[in-house]
Amino acid sequence: MPTAEPGWVTSLRDSLVRLDGFMASLSLLLLLLLVIGQVLLRNLFDGGIPHADILSRYLVLYVTFFGAALAIEEHRHIRIDVVSILFKPERLQALRRPLYLISAIICVILTRAAIRFWYDDWQYVAEHERWSSILALITPFGFGLLSLHFLLGALYPKPAQDRST
Amino acid sequence: MIGLLVIIIILFALLGIPLFIALAGGSLLATWQAGLDPALLAVELNRLAASPYLAAIPLFTFAGVVLAGGGAPQRMIQLFNAMVGWLPGGMAAVALTSCAFFTAFSGASGVTILALGGLMFPMLLRAGYGERFNLGLLTTSGSLGLLFPPSLAILLYGIVSGVSIDQLFLAGLVPGLLLLVVLGVYCMYHCSCTNVPRHQFSMTPLLKALREGIWDLLLPVSIIVGIFGGFVTISEAAACTAVYVLVLEGIIHREIHFTRQLPALMKDAAILVGSILIILSVAMGLTNLLIDAQLPMKILGWIEQHIESELQFLILLNVFLLIVGCMMDIFSATVVVVPLILPIAASYGIHPVHLGIIFLANLEIGYSTPPVGINLFIASQRFGRPVLSLFRAAVPFLLLMILWLALITYVPYLTLWWLD
Repeated sequence: MPTAEPGWVTSLRDSLVRLDGFMASLSLLLLLLLVIGQVLLRNLFDGGIPHADILSRYLVLYVTFFGAALAIEEHRHIRIDVVSILFKPERLQALRRPLYLISAIICVILTRAAIRFWYDDWQYVAEHERWSSILALITPFGFGLLSLHFLLGALYPKPAQDRST
Repeated sequence: MIGLLVIIIILFALLGIPLFIALAGGSLLATWQAGLDPALLAVELNRLAASPYLAAIPLFTFAGVVLAGGGAPQRMIQLFNAMVGWLPGGMAAVALTSCAFFTAFSGASGVTILALGGLMFPMLLRAGYGERFNLGLLTTSGSLGLLFPPSLAILLYGIVSGVSIDQLFLAGLVPGLLLLVVLGVYCMYHCSCTNVPRHQFSMTPLLKALREGIWDLLLPVSIIVGIFGGFVTISEAAACTAVYVLVLEGIIHREIHFTRQLPALMKDAAILVGSILIILSVAMGLTNLLIDAQLPMKILGWIEQHIESELQFLILLNVFLLIVGCMMDIFSATVVVVPLILPIAASYGIHPVHLGIIFLANLEIGYSTPPVGINLFIASQRFGRPVLSLFRAAVPFLLLMILWLALITYVPYLTLWWLD
């Protein structure tokens, strides 16, 4: 039986979805502006945006992680539906809780690994490249965000939507 | 112990755990077994992010989502109907060309059937085509443009395999056009057998449709000219396409409101990108660990004992990929399978670009085959018909596609004509 979602969980979830949507859209927009700016500057002024390459690389990761977090809430992650298509929706709904719990655990392990990698990088990075290390925080933050979404999904599952991607 | 854990992960994947979690679980197991630090997976993710092509995926996806959300499907149908609708089997050819055009942009994520299928199905019925033929046609057409630029599937194959995406785009043109011709001829034959009435050619609707749809038609042309003319890189072409589409839908046709609709479309694009690239992010670590463990070489050693010639290998490859296509969607299959088959195919002298086109062609067919061909499920949802009856309707088209697959597999010139 699905557990009734307390009010604070609903508002946390809504805030997270709003944050994810805003950050994903903003990153996509910035990526578009960055690449277009680069094309215009190169062709019109024979110049370019400094570090555009590194910036665009991280913006793709921002779109990826925030988009993946939204995909959890909308049940739009890619799955191998070989067996699950044989189940009734109620059975699938019941299965979602343990599967999301396992997903949350795996994401927590990845978060820990990403934090360690980031910290090692931070210790040895040159002073003038620190800004890119700050941008790289998206990897541990992103996996942490996915863990949180999966955990919320495991504790308070939402009804399944159609996979009409 | 490790075998049991692998079985558990596979079981979870079959039960519907998000694929990236199954792959991440596999990656963690592989690092644990190899005695490596799982932080290695974060290193692989950073290595992936350094790919110069990666930015093209979100930008082309965004362009495709905006096109689908705007009026492009209606304009395309109107234009192709005025151009070829008067030919025998013309309305079916309209469906084929519109779907191929649209899939190239939307990335074969099912959007084609949702956006175009709903429009084309009643039009085909009104034009006198049989229901079963229409269902088969629209179900298989959902993945037709996979080999045309700027197909997301080609981009992903290029990133995973390290093969030049420009070359893949060039290589996909002839096989993609050939498939359209093969299916178009079948549609003509079907219509001549069933006496479907034809409409008269008229210049006035053609000019009107051209005025409306000319900018859409110029879109793939400008991408091809931009990339192959050396004016822009792949990622820059993707950004230019996104801006072009925004101007087209938001300013020229006014189909999309920038403040009311655009944020939702951006969010939708981000979800699509997130669900594809997160798989790529975690799978790169796993596949590299499998390669380090010499898995492709072990498979190759086994294959070499049983398979002697390139021809035999290609037959085996097709059978294997058709099975993969029935079980996995194109994006996850690309990420998981390509790194494993690439060295094996190379040892049999198969060009990586040719392998890419064979790979994508197989999965294009897999889209419409049970048990998990996504086209079948989306078409079932869209047209309200059981999956099995859609598969039966798609069988004639699938048989033709298998013939086409054999042709492009065993005649590499069709793919590699541009090589010196």
